[in-house]
Amino acid sequence: MLMKGYCLCLLLQFGRIFGGNIEYDGWANINLQHALIASENPVFTERGNVTIQSLQTGLSTVYQKPLSQTDRVKLRDLAANNEFYQLKSIVTASDGSESVFISSVKACMLAESDLNDILSVSLDYSGKVVTVTLAVASTATCEGAVVPIDKLKEFSTSVYVRHPENGPVPDTITYTQKLEKQAKEKGEVKDNRSFLAKYWMYIVPVVIIMVLSSAANPDGAATGNNAAR
Amino acid sequence: MATFKSISSIFLVFLTFLNVAISLYEDQIGKFDWKQSYIGNIKFGSFDSVKRVVVATDENVIASLHLKNGQIAWRQILESPHGNQIELLHVDKEVITVSGGESGWYVRGWELNLGTILWEWTLYSDKSLKGYWVISKDQLIHLVPAVGSHLEITTYEVRTGRNNGKTLRISAPWITDLSKCVTAGIYWTCISGESSSAELHYIDLSSQLDKVYNLSVEKLIGNAPGKVTLRSLQYAEPDILLIRNGVGRYVRLQPELPKVFTYGLSPNVAVAPNGDQTLLIQLESSSENPENIQIHSVELEEGKENRIETDYVNKTGISHIITALCRGSACRVLFSAQDHSISLLQLPAGKVAWTREEALSHIVATEFLELPVSELDASIEHEFDSVSGDVFGTLYHRLTSQARQLSVLLTGQQSTSNTGLVRDEFGLHKLIIVATNVGKLFAIDTITGNVVWSRFFNNVESFSLLNKHGMLLFVQRTARYSPLIPQCVLLMKDKITGNGIMYTFDPITGESLQLERLSYQINQVMLLPYEDDEHLKGLLILSGDSQVHLYPSSSKSILLKHASTTFLYTANPKQGTLHGLSLAYSTPENIKAVPTWSLNLGQAELVAVGIRPINERVHSQGRVLADRSVLYKYVNPNLLAIATIKDDSIHKHVLNIYLVDGVTGLIVYSTVHKRADKPVHLVHSENWLVYSYYNERFRRIELGAIELYEGSVQSNSTAFSSHAVSQLPHAEAQAYIFPGTPLAMQATITERGITNKHILVGLSNGAVTEIPWAFLEPRGNQGILNPEEGYIPYIPELPLPSEATINYNQSLARIRGLQVAPARLESTCLVLVHGLDVYYTRVTPSKTFDLLKEDFDHWLIAIVLIGLTVASYVTKRLASRKALKQAWK
Repeated sequence: MLMKGYCLCLLLQFGRIFGGNIEYDGWANINLQHALIASENPVFTERGNVTIQSLQTGLSTVYQKPLSQTDRVKLRDLAANNEFYQLKSIVTASDGSESVFISSVKACMLAESDLNDILSVSLDYSGKVVTVTLAVASTATCEGAVVPIDKLKEFSTSVYVRHPENGPVPDTITYTQKLEKQAKEKGEVKDNRSFLAKYWMYIVPVVIIMVLSSAANPDGAATGNNAAR
Repeated sequence: MATFKSISSIFLVFLTFLNVAISLYEDQIGKFDWKQSYIGNIKFGSFDSVKRVVVATDENVIASLHLKNGQIAWRQILESPHGNQIELLHVDKEVITVSGGESGWYVRGWELNLGTILWEWTLYSDKSLKGYWVISKDQLIHLVPAVGSHLEITTYEVRTGRNNGKTLRISAPWITDLSKCVTAGIYWTCISGESSSAELHYIDLSSQLDKVYNLSVEKLIGNAPGKVTLRSLQYAEPDILLIRNGVGRYVRLQPELPKVFTYGLSPNVAVAPNGDQTLLIQLESSSENPENIQIHSVELEEGKENRIETDYVNKTGISHIITALCRGSACRVLFSAQDHSISLLQLPAGKVAWTREEALSHIVATEFLELPVSELDASIEHEFDSVSGDVFGTLYHRLTSQARQLSVLLTGQQSTSNTGLVRDEFGLHKLIIVATNVGKLFAIDTITGNVVWSRFFNNVESFSLLNKHGMLLFVQRTARYSPLIPQCVLLMKDKITGNGIMYTFDPITGESLQLERLSYQINQVMLLPYEDDEHLKGLLILSGDSQVHLYPSSSKSILLKHASTTFLYTANPKQGTLHGLSLAYSTPENIKAVPTWSLNLGQAELVAVGIRPINERVHSQGRVLADRSVLYKYVNPNLLAIATIKDDSIHKHVLNIYLVDGVTGLIVYSTVHKRADKPVHLVHSENWLVYSYYNERFRRIELGAIELYEGSVQSNSTAFSSHAVSQLPHAEAQAYIFPGTPLAMQATITERGITNKHILVGLSNGAVTEIPWAFLEPRGNQGILNPEEGYIPYIPELPLPSEATINYNQSLARIRGLQVAPARLESTCLVLVHGLDVYYTRVTPSKTFDLLKEDFDHWLIAIVLIGLTVASYVTKRLASRKALKQAWK
């Protein structure tokens, strides 16, 4: 069964985190075990397997057997007594390393949702699994509930592979562009031409007048020079 | 239109700057704030004249203290004390220090009166061996011994650092243990061998010769069983103390045969030069009262003894004489005690001139405490809490309590008000409880800054909390429940066993309630949010072996009631794991914490954990957008913020920020910054997080801000539940360049959370600056496209205007932490900044909107009001008279 959002209306945000930014793609296999009797030292029994073919895209296959009759009764009692449903996930990564995570949800919430649950697999930037958390999409909590046993047949699990978002960086480029744009609007365009290019129309007449005056009056200049001597 | 928009936005920017400009007027300096400067635990001290004493401390600080009152004349703060220490203090016409460590040595000269630097040179020694420094006639001699083989002596000119390029190597196979070697004047001396065959070796460092004098200790102080140790006297003459079985013998080193003085001395002795003769001063506990200290002085040449009674009471164990100076019969002795306090004793009067509490230079835990109400107010409060329902009972209760109030009012008997520790109207007068690294607990009055009471614990140390020192201080019962005394608890670590120590006390009087040495190590501590019948909050301690302990044990029944909804978490920074624990599986016999979630951060180093302040209230549930719709905040009281740094082969260091729900372990949001390194500081408040980090790519400090929103619908509006995850919050993030180096960050907190939030940042330059949260608030695309009211446009580099510095020109050295507390006035937040200095002030992020201005003219308004009333009556009268006259016409 491929993952597809069951409660899409509620879970848009889960989907949004898609589109990985991890550098290496890999796969992971998650072995799920659950405890149907609340205890401080829970006894975990097999629940199913989740294979994430690609951590990059979050593509996954879920294989879970339907619950047996005894398990259903146990789950109903767990829900009726307002106990926690405990899940153990054994993650085997593509490099062969194994890590174990535990997670708990309120059993009554799980039962009330007809065993529609969400498995959130959080990765770090390198694609390593940080934690596996079980959650139930709901807007309210319950304090114990009796659910008909025929509703507790089979888990339908949505797997969400969640990558960290790239951290924000100070946006200097847009800001400087904005400042430049503002300056342009005000007409304060900076003139980058050289001094000569800018003021040639003033310099040339002055030079011409000087040349002309010195050409027209060479004696004066000569006498002036003599006088200086 | 566009220009108008830009003008309006610029105008808004100016407006916000004006908002920030809440700095003080000149006449308000010191009115709301106080600063206390400290120097640290003294290592060396030397009297420079009869007016001052120059000291060097283990905080790598040198300072000059006035002998009259102990105040700091000048203080110079050198490099960070981690890896840098002062090794030599020499006071002559100028102060010469040698400080440093692994990276090299700094030799500096300081002006004696002003403390300005005169000259400085550095010495890079490639050996990380322990060295010894001696100054002799403008020459600085550096001696580096190598155990078991040789020693090297290099001589430098002290002011310039010039040396003749020669290093004297002396073969010294007798160096076995450097703890048995000391410098004495111009000699360097060692003891080798065991008790009977012990030998004393010494070298004259100024002679430039490789002559080593060897002598058997037996020859000097005779033969007796017992280990012989050596003590330097930190004195210009080449004198040492040879100690055997707790009795010291004074030895003056000379070429060939040293001179030995015949009388015995205590090992804790100091030399006081007094003109021609020399006095030896020792501290002894007096025979009648062991806590009282006697001064025992011995004249060096004649051995004439003299005992002087002092008024110094020693409660903290052995005190240690740092230095002493005599002028005629008047002597001054500077000594430091185990609690890092420094005292100056004046002889022959035997009076303590002053004491400095240097323990306050390293604060590890702080808590603000509200004071109890005055007795009169308390009795008025009691008038209304009568429980019996019948009429006569209530009447009797009222009459008696009113009679009591009258008597209190007439006689003026107010026991608590005698000490001045009474709650004021605005809640500005509080008590700060402070625990220090050395193990001394203080209560400080916020108005005056004076120490109300203090208590010292021997052999305790602080916990190491994420590379920081810390103790745990909780208020179990506030002063609100009047006949019941308030109660605080402090958790420390035993220095010897590493187990926890729990000390419960009354924070107002300092009275000890219980000191319990626990038989286990502490892993996690939680103050339970539930009060028992006596309004006492229980303390839950998780020991190293995951056992749950409850104090007091009577809080068990209350905890069991709430066990299914009580969760806690533990973090293991070494393994990089986090665990969530639930108490749901507890039985009345046995409280158990069972893991419910786990987080594996891999090889990453956990650098910071941020939780929201417990007493924080979020007033506004959402943000009003430009189109008048509301964006609801994601206010999760169980949210933890975690920052980790991971070494990476490509990106050098990678910073990960995780926002984790503490109940379910669900990662609500995570973000990653590549090429970002320590230091990381986190501030987590309301629905947002601000963190600072070092950007390795651009080599600058940056500030990141994350804000979480639920969207336009609020999912669990009545009561928040972490189990009901209908929708993950939507996060907005933005980063800023920060033109400073933050050492500590904290968000302001006010009583009801109506006032704007400011972020207080302690900077490395000694300023504490205030940044409005509105400056950092990430707006996302929506904010840019459709700006709402009061919107501040994004500026990538945060401005740090000097008006936003809350400590104006009072720079604070080496800020370690910031603590905030709300006053009862909504506008005001109390701030304590601690580091080497302690600074207290109050800030008003939205200005004092609930207070009249100080210069408000009460008289004028009263006169105007009375004038208007009178005028209205007069005109009424005149008008009626006029009307009457007109009617007669």
